[in-house]
Amino acid sequence: MALNDILKHMPSVGDMLSDYKSTEEMDFINLSQNKVLSAPPYSNPVENLAKLHENNDNIKINFDHGTTTLGFIYQGGVVLAVDSRATGGQYIGSQSVRKVVEINDLLLGTLAGGAADCTYWYRVLTSECRLYELRNKKKISLAAATKIMNNIIYSYKNSGLSMGMILAGGDMNQVSLYYLDSDGTRTMGKVFSVGSGSIFAYGVLDSGYKWELTDEQAYELGRRSIYHATHRDAYSGGTVRVYHVKKDGWNLISEEDCLDLHRRYEAEKKK
Amino acid sequence: MLGINQFPEYQVPGAVQHQFNPYENNGGSIVAIAGDNFAVIGADTRLSAGYNIFTRNHSKLFQLTSSAVLASCGNWCDSDTLTSILQTRVRQYSDTHENKEISLNAIAQLLSTMMYGRRFFPYYVSNILAGIYEGKGYVYSYDPIGHCERHTYRAGGSSSALLQPILDNQIGLKNMEEKPTIPLTVDRAVKLVTDTFISAAERDIYTGDGVKISIITENGVEERQIPLRKD
Amino acid sequence: MNSVLAPEIEQHGFNFSNCRRNEKLIHDGFKPPKATKTGTTIVGIIYKHGVILGADTRATSGNIVSDKNCEKIHFLAKNMYCCGAGTAADTEMTTKMIASQLELHRLNTNRVVPVPCASTLLKQYLFRYQGHVSAALVLGGVDNQGPHIYCIYPHGSTDKLPYATMGSGSLAAMSVFESRWKPDMEEEEGKKLVRDAIAAGIFNDLGSGSNVDLCIIRKDSTQYLRNYELANEKGVRNLDYTYKRGTTGVLSVKKIAFDVVEESTSGIEKMDTN
Repeated sequence: MALNDILKHMPSVGDMLSDYKSTEEMDFINLSQNKVLSAPPYSNPVENLAKLHENNDNIKINFDHGTTTLGFIYQGGVVLAVDSRATGGQYIGSQSVRKVVEINDLLLGTLAGGAADCTYWYRVLTSECRLYELRNKKKISLAAATKIMNNIIYSYKNSGLSMGMILAGGDMNQVSLYYLDSDGTRTMGKVFSVGSGSIFAYGVLDSGYKWELTDEQAYELGRRSIYHATHRDAYSGGTVRVYHVKKDGWNLISEEDCLDLHRRYEAEKKK
Repeated sequence: MLGINQFPEYQVPGAVQHQFNPYENNGGSIVAIAGDNFAVIGADTRLSAGYNIFTRNHSKLFQLTSSAVLASCGNWCDSDTLTSILQTRVRQYSDTHENKEISLNAIAQLLSTMMYGRRFFPYYVSNILAGIYEGKGYVYSYDPIGHCERHTYRAGGSSSALLQPILDNQIGLKNMEEKPTIPLTVDRAVKLVTDTFISAAERDIYTGDGVKISIITENGVEERQIPLRKD
Repeated sequence: MNSVLAPEIEQHGFNFSNCRRNEKLIHDGFKPPKATKTGTTIVGIIYKHGVILGADTRATSGNIVSDKNCEKIHFLAKNMYCCGAGTAADTEMTTKMIASQLELHRLNTNRVVPVPCASTLLKQYLFRYQGHVSAALVLGGVDNQGPHIYCIYPHGSTDKLPYATMGSGSLAAMSVFESRWKPDMEEEEGKKLVRDAIAAGIFNDLGSGSNVDLCIIRKDSTQYLRNYELANEKGVRNLDYTYKRGTTGVLSVKKIAFDVVEESTSGIEKMDTN
């Protein structure tokens, strides 16, 4: 390390050698530059990282995965609803993941896919949004925030990140809803559902969705859609959380265990 | 169907395949429980690979500050590297902040960021961080690429799937109609950790020999060691 | 197509009809179920009056112990026992089948079956399946020629030795034999040696564990010492893990009345559930 570090500070050669940092610095480069991850000692991480694991039978790196998340826009704003289960392979790693990330007073995002990927990049986005506020003396718009996120994700395209995000937020005039994923998609829309349980959630959501829903009806539609996904998808479960996003901010509406919901809906069916 | 793959002896000599196998599983299990004003964290003391035992007295616990202990198992060389770099950073923090100790939640986030930094060549480790912050007990657990979550109890390592259900039942009181009301004291937490390891040693070949338990309270960290079966 | 005039010939041996299907399933990413393996330390020695066989009692599937007290010393004939390592089902079925052939052989010839005969039957059977019947055996017995110990490998090769070890703990056990075995040992000394060899496997090899089983075969008697030594006691738990009535929710109740006609208990070894 020593020679490199000394040369780095010499103006004549510093620029050239700034790429050759000590190994420790290279490994944790994201501590100083949060958008840069250290490069692996092999090419094409998607295939080669998977190969490292299949060579050895006892070693399986199971990242936390699996989810049902949804978001839809209606006359009263946006409803986001999520489950709370994280699975690593067949093993339920956690039943208490907070899959709605509170970026600031106006913006919310949901996480699906690799939990570490989503939480890390949301943290980066949160800091970017705050920096924008400090630089420009105004809150960032959802369009701008999603574009920042999209640019980061796109720069890591085909490197094995796995993310599916729904972002919702208001800018005092209107609310909007975006879908982003690790392929580099960024699209605005009315109804989104992401994750392994999304096919089940869409079934309920599409049959009950209309623009004119009242707030209570909208919460219940979101809640029921997630509940039915937890019922049929083994990779979804735990607590069902419902958030409401309005022009001037968001509220947490409910947090209910899906077993309690199951009992309630079963009892309603019998009536 | 039948092909050259079934008969490796007959493969053509000359073409040498090079393989890169940086990962090895060294086994071991870890458990942590957080109480109102304390945290208990335990790890077994066996270090193994395949069917061999490297040592029977090997600590997987790392005391980072007077109120934070990290347990790390999986690939031992990765644990060793990661924890030593983390310990350096913890030390650097106090050196640059007038000897103020880094707080538990700051360590939790630092570790997560460090692990995610190696997203494309991860440390093959299972980490659990336990400690107290502003007088309350906390446990943080990690996946190999740095997803961090706060819990009140958590098991990790080779017998995590054996230990976690015991904790879900005894502390989480999951799926019970009439829940017992036994307060979670330091004594009960230590006994529970010991008992879960006794059970794990019965059925998991990579867990055994002994348990090392750290009890973190406002008065600092107390260590205990309890023997387990050695086969 | 089965009739009295043209009876269908009964299929012998293994059924391979699912092989192609299973290969496809594995190719498509299906994980096949794990067979129970006995990682195992098994040993046998010749001493002054016969042979002593020894085995540990752990069976595993992957990294999980599936049986803490299984039997690895199998009966072949009155004067012959056989320790098995490898896939539990293979060792058990192979030894059972050979035992029946040996009994038929004894009835046909009306004399004590020689141990080399059992060795030949086993090696011929294992060679036929090219190592796919995964049984690694230590065969021990006494016949009119005296005591014999054979090592039989899964592919069908054999060794005839005065002391032998097999299984994942074979190196640990062999190190004990190499340092302490000598010809014409007394029985007590031999038992101690075999016990120590098995204990070396139990403690130093993760595939072996729990207790020591011994089997002593003399010229005119055999002695099977099941659980000769309990090498590992289970730890005593500190807390109470019983539950109050009502802990488990009852969703619905349906009563089915029945009369007790007969009560019987079959002789199965009790599992330790404390």
